[in-house]
Amino acid sequence: MVAERSLDRESVLDALHEVIDPELGYNIVDLGLIYALEVAAGVIRITMTMTTPGCPAQDYIMSGVYERSKSVPGINDVQIKLVWLPAWSPRLMTPAAKAHFGIQV
Amino acid sequence: MAVLSTRLSRWSLPMFVCALVNFLAAQGLMLAGMSWPTQPVSAPGTLAAVHLLVIGWLLLLMFGALFQFVPVITSRPLVSQSMALAALIALEIGLLGMVGGFFGIGTGSRALAMALPAGGAAVYLGVLIACWNIGVPLLRSRPLSLPGRMVLTGLAFLLLTVTLGLAFALALAVPALAPYLAPLLGGVGEHALAGLGGWFTLTAMGVSYKLLPMFMLAPEDRGITGDGVHILATVGFALAIGAGLARVWSAAEPLAVAQSSGYAAIALAVGIYLWDVVRIYRTRKRAVIELHNKAAVAAFGLLGLGTAVAIGFVMAGHLGAGAPVIVFLIVFGWLGGLGLTQLYKIVPFLTWLHRYGRSLGRGAVPRVQELVHERRSYPWFALYFLGVLLGATSVLSGHAAGLRPCVVLVTVATFGIVVEYWRAWRAHYVPLRPSEPAAPLLRPNQRG
Repeated sequence: MVAERSLDRESVLDALHEVIDPELGYNIVDLGLIYALEVAAGVIRITMTMTTPGCPAQDYIMSGVYERSKSVPGINDVQIKLVWLPAWSPRLMTPAAKAHFGIQV
Repeated sequence: MAVLSTRLSRWSLPMFVCALVNFLAAQGLMLAGMSWPTQPVSAPGTLAAVHLLVIGWLLLLMFGALFQFVPVITSRPLVSQSMALAALIALEIGLLGMVGGFFGIGTGSRALAMALPAGGAAVYLGVLIACWNIGVPLLRSRPLSLPGRMVLTGLAFLLLTVTLGLAFALALAVPALAPYLAPLLGGVGEHALAGLGGWFTLTAMGVSYKLLPMFMLAPEDRGITGDGVHILATVGFALAIGAGLARVWSAAEPLAVAQSSGYAAIALAVGIYLWDVVRIYRTRKRAVIELHNKAAVAAFGLLGLGTAVAIGFVMAGHLGAGAPVIVFLIVFGWLGGLGLTQLYKIVPFLTWLHRYGRSLGRGAVPRVQELVHERRSYPWFALYFLGVLLGATSVLSGHAAGLRPCVVLVTVATFGIVVEYWRAWRAHYVPLRPSEPAAPLLRPNQRG
């Protein structure tokens, strides 16, 4: 059961790699915008943020996250919680994203 | 029609289009010899060109940007999208009236001259509507960030500017009011300082304090330097404008001292601001920056040059003689240059949201940067700033006539940059994708 949940979580994260922050032009997972992701009984609960509060692309990114998550086989429902604390910073990027932007790790 | 996010300013792009048309129209007047440097600075054609530049180009550009930017810094929506359209209509109609009025005064046509105060009143109305639309979310935002405070201060100077402008228009066009208002015409310099300095420069500084760190991934907190720039600039502009206006009626020495102190505070504020901008560029985490940020360096440089030239003329006691070239450097170099470079980011970004935002998560979408071709655009920005620099150098070296060929360079470059905006909007550099069927957009914390 545990292995199945873990597999589902990885599937969703893989799928979310296809959703980009349009301004930075990089996927939201490696940018560190996904703070938490739980999968249970076909329901995904995502806690995420934006690079800046009031981002004009916010509604589009959230819809993108919803649409892409929902398209993962076996997912029945997607719940997204948008938070501003802790505030996003480039420190939250993965090493791959930091390398892409030339940020010192 | 595509369903757009409520976070998207619907009228910003149309405002930018109108602004660019007005910018090219003003350059056309300069090239046609109907304005300074061919005509005197007080000639109707010069006044028409100046107002096409500051109201038609810079004001529409700034409002278009603020309608999108203020919700970002306040996390609050504008009062209404319709008010943005109303402001645009009032400002464009008012501007046309003012331009007609200036030429009417030149030809002696009383009827056409009356278009000046009528147009000025429409501009005033447009400014009030826009200020309300932007000011309410700013005033309701707690705590208000440094960029927000600077924009709010800028709006106060804008209201002063248009109030003075409307009084000038009445003094020029209505003979019955001239005895009461004519002395105010001695404050044209203060009108320009309030508009170009207190409003445009202070607001552009505030906006840049948010956008530069955001786009370059640099630390946003400006600390004491940011507050210092805001306070020094506010006090400096208030002192210089207030004392300058008072000197229209009084030759008291303390007023001259206050005015000079104001100029010194402004110069210090600009110096600290430019040092702060250098710090932002140096502390950025994004190693490779985009063209809009690279090219903006020239605009910051021309702000420094314009300020240095102004200091030189003030110290020589001939600020009036230097006013045309200072205004040219600030309008074309600093504000116009910063505007053109930032539009190179804003237009593709808004285009992306309009065209591809709703496809996110449903299929492949391009990056915003893929909508532009930086190598093709770079020469246009280089030509633009070269034209401004050569033009200013020509005037400063006593060859004002040499400015006109430089304006040719500026116009060609502006046109080239506009074509690149158009290509971004048309998604010229990426294959067009079919639009997705409309579906509701999610709001924060909404259950899917």
